[in-house]
Amino acid sequence: MEIIHDRRKVYDIDRKPCLGCGDCGYAIRPVVGRYLTCPVKEAMEDEGFELYFSRGRMNVLKSILEGQIPLSRELAEWVYQCSVCGNCTEVCHMSQNEYITLPTCNWIDHVKVWDALRKDLVEAGFAPLERHSDLVEYMNDDKMRNPYGEDIDEKFDWIKEFPEIKEKGELMFFGGCSIPLRQVETLKNMMKILKAAGKEIAMTKDEWCCGSIAIRIGDEKSLTETIKHNIEEFKERGAKTLFTACAGCYRTWKKDYPELLGEKLPFEVKHITEIIIELLNNNQIPFKKEEGEKVKVTYHDPCHLGRHMNLYDIPREVITNIPGIELIEMKRNRNNAWCCGAGGGVKSQFPELAVKISKERIREAVDSSAQILTTSCPFCINNLNNAYEEMDTMVKEKIKVVDIIDFIASKI
Amino acid sequence: MTEIYQKLEKIVSKKFLSNSIYVRHAYSRNVDLVLQGVPDIVIRPKDAKEISEILKVANENNMPVIPRGGGICEFGGSKPIGDGGIVLDMKRMNNIINLDEDNLIVTIEAGISWGKLNEYLCHYGLYTGCMGPGSGMSASVGGGISHHSVGGGGCAKYGACTNQLVSLEVVLPTGEIIETGSQANKFSKYPFNRFGNGPDLAGLFCGDNGIFGVKTKVSLQIFPKPKFADYKTFLMPRKSAETAAQIMTEIRQKGIDVYDAMFIPDVVVAIGSERGMFPLWEGIKRKLGMFFYTIEANSKIELEERVKNLDEIILGKKSEFLGPEIKDGNIAKWHYAEQGHWQFYHNLWGMYPSMQPLSAECFCPISAFPKILQDIDQWDIEHESDMRKIFDITNVRPISGSGPVPLVDGNNVEITAGFVSFWRYYDGEIHDLIKETNIKLWKSLLERVIRHGVQWYMMGDYVSRFMVDIGAYSEEFYNLMTSIKKNLDPNMILSRGKFNFWE
Repeated sequence: MEIIHDRRKVYDIDRKPCLGCGDCGYAIRPVVGRYLTCPVKEAMEDEGFELYFSRGRMNVLKSILEGQIPLSRELAEWVYQCSVCGNCTEVCHMSQNEYITLPTCNWIDHVKVWDALRKDLVEAGFAPLERHSDLVEYMNDDKMRNPYGEDIDEKFDWIKEFPEIKEKGELMFFGGCSIPLRQVETLKNMMKILKAAGKEIAMTKDEWCCGSIAIRIGDEKSLTETIKHNIEEFKERGAKTLFTACAGCYRTWKKDYPELLGEKLPFEVKHITEIIIELLNNNQIPFKKEEGEKVKVTYHDPCHLGRHMNLYDIPREVITNIPGIELIEMKRNRNNAWCCGAGGGVKSQFPELAVKISKERIREAVDSSAQILTTSCPFCINNLNNAYEEMDTMVKEKIKVVDIIDFIASKI
Repeated sequence: MTEIYQKLEKIVSKKFLSNSIYVRHAYSRNVDLVLQGVPDIVIRPKDAKEISEILKVANENNMPVIPRGGGICEFGGSKPIGDGGIVLDMKRMNNIINLDEDNLIVTIEAGISWGKLNEYLCHYGLYTGCMGPGSGMSASVGGGISHHSVGGGGCAKYGACTNQLVSLEVVLPTGEIIETGSQANKFSKYPFNRFGNGPDLAGLFCGDNGIFGVKTKVSLQIFPKPKFADYKTFLMPRKSAETAAQIMTEIRQKGIDVYDAMFIPDVVVAIGSERGMFPLWEGIKRKLGMFFYTIEANSKIELEERVKNLDEIILGKKSEFLGPEIKDGNIAKWHYAEQGHWQFYHNLWGMYPSMQPLSAECFCPISAFPKILQDIDQWDIEHESDMRKIFDITNVRPISGSGPVPLVDGNNVEITAGFVSFWRYYDGEIHDLIKETNIKLWKSLLERVIRHGVQWYMMGDYVSRFMVDIGAYSEEFYNLMTSIKKNLDPNMILSRGKFNFWE
């Protein structure tokens, strides 16, 4: 109980209480685009006990804080079946109108609570779970420095094709791990866009995994070293702006690093879409001429960009600037967007659950009549693609899943 | 326990029941601060037949069973009273069984939420009229029927949700499955009327707080949603509660078919504005009570006539119209057009961080509510020393008072009163004094309100027992209720402890 006691300021649910209304499990309110909340609970279908969504977990946390029940491995198995998407915070006493703010939603931050509980489970020795342990071990291994267990040089192989990438510069790219190791064509397409726009960038071959996976799992013991290394690496190379094409890296750099360090970073952090919108606004991207009927595109908000970082408009502005495109929204979008299911370590530890959640998101995209489902997060892309591969031909005939960078590059 | 668990596992299969300590604790609380009961087993049944078998096992083993819908009872009604027993999580039963568009009747499984049901109906231009309780986004229809729920909108026009009940399928505590109303005739092909075929046995289960049976299937009258609606908000003059009561009375006396009419007391407007909850009222200097209405109609002319009649009443009481848009202060528009009616009160529960509700929600005549509200203020003053005990630990004093007062059936209103206070775990320590003081204050406030002769609809664990404990029930009424309970549930299996019906 001592560990929990130490965490009380993070949990803070004595001051930011869950009132137990259950909207995080059941709320449907079409007038504001709210159609249920918890992707994990819905994926569990008939087996969806309340412990699968926030209210049940909060009730358990109350009992833990009151000393009635202990932390345990069994609890960890439940706790990590959560993509930490933050949709429960959105629904928590939401108003969604600027004139009636009902700020209770600002008082409870579920993601922070779950992060803190995960840290306690790790410190008490009940976590990480098996697959999460491997990821963190790889991430901290000097020969790897990525959670995929690949050799450290693998991440930078793709750079050989682009000698124009400098080693120092004001605009520096943080490649992260997922895109260079699992989605490398997207990086090449990013370079195609930047080259076409005449934008120069720099990179370092000594970046380490940003540590997102360790933060989400709650295993932060070696994170300070990682953060310091990464910041120093970019600072030394003269970065004024660091940008990334990964939503997870973006959140980690922009939100987690300053919070963990307790100070501002020495440079600005941007997502690739924020760079692209600047290029579009300056007419620097030479798109092909519009041909034939407009293509219907829908955008999936990654949790790490949307709910976690409030970056909703820019990706949409980017899409609407592409000639021949009609942006249409899915039934659940922006702060109500349905999570793809990959986050919070769910994809690595509970891959079937993650894919099941993504299937629902793809079906929603099909219902919107979109021909292209695009997004801007490699975890979402990977998980959506895994789900897509398992879906029937009828779905595949109707829609394709494409990274926003690949989509833009295809129009140049 | 293992033997019982194995018997239950044969009924529902192991995926749908759990005795994990964490699952049990997840189902051990509702929305109050002080009541907890940890079940032995949680089950998610799929139909009436499974529930019937579960109840038979429970009877054989003298094990209490508590049904739980949305789990949002303010008086601990959907968790065990004391530890132990079985919680039936009814939320797996959330399907729409039939929409009878000709007769405007929908039949659903009892675990469906009002939100899901109305989302389905809106595609047909239909709605449930009364939208269930204020928590209707999540609250179940079965729970609404068990409590005569109101507060989710439409209750001024349609009354409590039980008014729309056509037929029920109920599993009795001993396992028999019955259907009521038109369905009592086994040759009836579909539900069409509640009354007839003998006494209104559906009424026995309406507002029973889950003691007489487990509702599994509900048929409700539904309505075409009128195409035209208007909604206005008014700033009240001084003595706002009395003025609001006069307005509500006049609306009823003139027979105006208002959909919603609601009074928001001065304290909510003042504190809510101070806390930044109501930017729409920031520019208003006098933070007095608000009154809003919603009116529906089938034509523009009809709507204009109704609005004119309503405005004459309200503006005649020196109130001030705030303007048509939400930004002008028109909370009624937000409530009807954006909020989907639900969840207004819950937001107020969290008006101050850390404060959770200990409620005293009940019905009373329109004419009685201003005095009750005044008396709650007086009660607050009289209990300063107890409030101070909590303040001394938390540095914040509990707040008592009333939230919005909606007009409901006939000439009645719902009082959404109570006080908000702290959980006993505070700042890393357990403070039993907070819990003891909360309980003392809650009992005291409930008794004070009961003595005004109010009528409770949601009673759960706490109010149902408290009414008996303080002798508030007439002896004859309670004896009849006891006799029915003993007859239906000889082992007191179902919702054991409510109304002091113990083993």
